[in-house]
Amino acid sequence: MNPVEQLIRAPVAAVEFANLLLTRDDAEIGMTPKDVVWTHRKTTLYRYRSNDRTHALPVLLVFALINRPEIFDLRPGNSFVEFLLAEGFDVFLLDWGVPGDEDADMGIDNYVCDELPWAMRETLRASGQEELSLLGWCIGGSLVAMHAALEPGGPARNLVLLTTPVDTSGSLYSNWVARDSFDPEFVAEVLPSVPGAGIDWANKMMKPVTNFWTTNRVLWQNVLKGEAKREAYQSMARWVADNPPFPGRAYRQWITWMYKENRLVTGGLRLRGRRVDLRRIEQNTLVVTAGADHIAPRAGTLPLLDMVASEDVTHLDRPGGHIGLMAGSRAREGIWPDIAEWLEERSGA
Amino acid sequence: MSERLDPTEEARRLYEDAEKRTATAMEELVKRDAFGELLARATENILALTRMGIDVTDLVVRNLRLAGRRDVTSLGRQLARTEDKLERVLQEVERLQEQFAEAERSSASNGTTRRRTTKPKPAASK
Repeated sequence: MNPVEQLIRAPVAAVEFANLLLTRDDAEIGMTPKDVVWTHRKTTLYRYRSNDRTHALPVLLVFALINRPEIFDLRPGNSFVEFLLAEGFDVFLLDWGVPGDEDADMGIDNYVCDELPWAMRETLRASGQEELSLLGWCIGGSLVAMHAALEPGGPARNLVLLTTPVDTSGSLYSNWVARDSFDPEFVAEVLPSVPGAGIDWANKMMKPVTNFWTTNRVLWQNVLKGEAKREAYQSMARWVADNPPFPGRAYRQWITWMYKENRLVTGGLRLRGRRVDLRRIEQNTLVVTAGADHIAPRAGTLPLLDMVASEDVTHLDRPGGHIGLMAGSRAREGIWPDIAEWLEERSGA
Repeated sequence: MSERLDPTEEARRLYEDAEKRTATAMEELVKRDAFGELLARATENILALTRMGIDVTDLVVRNLRLAGRRDVTSLGRQLARTEDKLERVLQEVERLQEQFAEAERSSASNGTTRRRTTKPKPAASK
């Protein structure tokens, strides 16, 4: 397109560009039909509808405390949940909900020792099985790993840990929040629920030009060329912008334990008096890392492979970022079939 | 002889190159200790100001005899605690139900039958 053509098209493109941004929240995400199985406080357990469940073991999806779990089911045609259902899995989703100030007392121990095992129990009851597979992503992966370390003889047969932070030493987050001048106690004291927008801003500041400028510039160019993919852009943009607050106590614990003291690796993490020792994990474990992940860098996940006691440990490393790995346009061919295959081999009755 | 580039393409290439260099420079900048320190201090200042704002607003709202955010949060917290207790009671009931069902199954398999042993209620003293 020559400069004159660009100039002629610019006003129309500007309207379309603005429309894409302004109607972002109308994008439909998390549309696969599901039923509520169990709720407790803000946590909800869903079961996706299916009439083609061929694998005995149910799969429980666990996402991070920041952002919403709809990323597992972004949009029709690009949904990991849809893919798992088509592969014959019985899929459950654990949604932590949107905590408010009244949930400031929720800590990592509540999520690992109460919400997660309770959701697992309800998953087993609903599916009529005695074992299940846990799939955790990002902080969700860390919570799953902590639980597995506390309950090696529990009902989880398989663990799938996607871009999971384990060893935070040397990471950029660590450089920001592990310093003495950053006081998570003060943050949690002033903000009983730490605004998700603040955490999202910090995430974006890790790659400021790319996140604040290049994304919009590329979108503008695509609109100008008439190549913008409305549904793909809006669904992802809506998910990215939906940032629930982080309960104050959980935030304080997460920053202190994971970044200031790196307890998951040093073995100093205790939940309700019980030591969380990743060396006690005995379940079949699949660890997935992303080469270009700057939020949970690959190097921070790899120590897990040497720590766990499992005899069946698989590592998959793929190109892509923290989220793009699982929700990008190449995920359907690049990683989902490998995860499904790994689960399928270990999901027999 | 080198091929002549379209000036528009050349300008675009130069711009993208500059953007990429700026992105790399900014990523290096945010990795510096000084930036981390600045971020920590700025966060603390913003939070201190936020706290002052919240305290003043809460004082005004409370003096107007209106329920403030703190009051609503307190109510919400009480509800959450009640729900925690309810969940634990439900779990206990379910556990007892399972125990009961298990006992019924084992007694049925042993060929014995359960007998009701409810005693009549003693008459209430006046």
